[in-house]
Amino acid sequence: MGMVKKCWAILALQLACSGAYALDAPVWVGINDPAWNEMYPVRVQAMQAKGDAVRGEAKFVICQGCHRSAAVGRVDGSYPRLAGQHVSVLIKQMTDVQTERRSNPKMQPFIHLHEVLPQNVADIAVYLHGLPVTANHGRGPGDDLQHGQLLYMKDCATCHGKQGEGSDEQFYPRVSGQHFNYLLRESLIIRDGKRRNAHPDMVTVIKRYTDKDIAAVADFMSRLPVNP
Amino acid sequence: MIAIASPSLFQSHLPHWALLALLALSVMPHQAVASDARAIATTICAACHGADGNSTDPAYPKIAGMDEGYLLRQLRYFASGKRRNEVMETIIKDIREADFSSLANYYSAQKPLPGKVNNAQLAAVGKRLYEDGNTETGVPACAGCHQPDGDGNARFPRLAGQHQVYTLQQLGNYHSGRRATDRLMVAVAQRLSADEMKALAEYVAGL
Repeated sequence: MGMVKKCWAILALQLACSGAYALDAPVWVGINDPAWNEMYPVRVQAMQAKGDAVRGEAKFVICQGCHRSAAVGRVDGSYPRLAGQHVSVLIKQMTDVQTERRSNPKMQPFIHLHEVLPQNVADIAVYLHGLPVTANHGRGPGDDLQHGQLLYMKDCATCHGKQGEGSDEQFYPRVSGQHFNYLLRESLIIRDGKRRNAHPDMVTVIKRYTDKDIAAVADFMSRLPVNP
Repeated sequence: MIAIASPSLFQSHLPHWALLALLALSVMPHQAVASDARAIATTICAACHGADGNSTDPAYPKIAGMDEGYLLRQLRYFASGKRRNEVMETIIKDIREADFSSLANYYSAQKPLPGKVNNAQLAAVGKRLYEDGNTETGVPACAGCHQPDGDGNARFPRLAGQHQVYTLQQLGNYHSGRRATDRLMVAVAQRLSADEMKALAEYVAGL
């Protein structure tokens, strides 16, 4: 009897665990790249949870000291704009920082599991995605835009979109409406291997870039239309 | 002539305020909970916090107008030892746990009196920090949680008008980990310099 019970328990556990990947056959089935898109438990839980924007707004109070009210971020790029970002991207980035897959010591204590549960992550992501994106973000100096456009269209647009719109299905962040200095800083640390959670294809592409190339692309991205 | 002919019943016997006072007194005995809390506040808490929660000794916090939920949680922390303080540890033993709620309710309903800024220059530095944080060291804007006017809520305490000495003391306790009742605040305090703490304490006193 004990043995039968144990078998049932194991089966039930397997069903519960595999359910995430099988039920609605979401697009991320099978994606399990440990370097970039690993589906670890808190991330799966956050992706499965039904987010609620009202709860998200209440929880976001602990984030707005840095990301500002309505998640507009800072024009100087010290903190990114989160408003209007894709839900899948927000969840990935929050849980990546939470589990230290993305290095971000400043944010780490505020996204710690003691404070932010997978349900909270889902709520916050839905809230942020619904916020308006305004055109008052930080922009680059505008002195090398042709070069930036050339590189962006050749190397970046395939994933991040011609208008910088990104992709919710593919976890590619929207880059339009983002602060220039943030785009610049993150691009540099992705190239130098310090951010750690970037797509391997992006790392391959950006490895060849000089500081000047990166500045030009970041500048171009900061000038993409906010509401195309 | 008309005025003399029809004198108001109230005007003829008692002034308005006296009638209102009598009315208030007649209601009070029914509010047993509230009067208990007032009695506890007057006999036990008043020596340090003041009967109305506006302490005059800067070593003891003003608690008037703080959120009821926040005050209740602190009382429980003191009782359980999660929050340490030599004075409160002893005194909390004289208060029944059943009275914590009404006591928190009583002090949250008291009107907070404003504090006083002694150094306007320092307060101006504090204001920038309070509203913008320090992006270099990862200090969030205090206003994000404690609200721009420092009024606070159930989770994050009211800071407005607080004694500089007390605010500074608590920031120090969070910095050292002696007070760890909120992990976020420990993280924030550990990123604050001593000068930044002084500036913030000065600024919130004037909120």
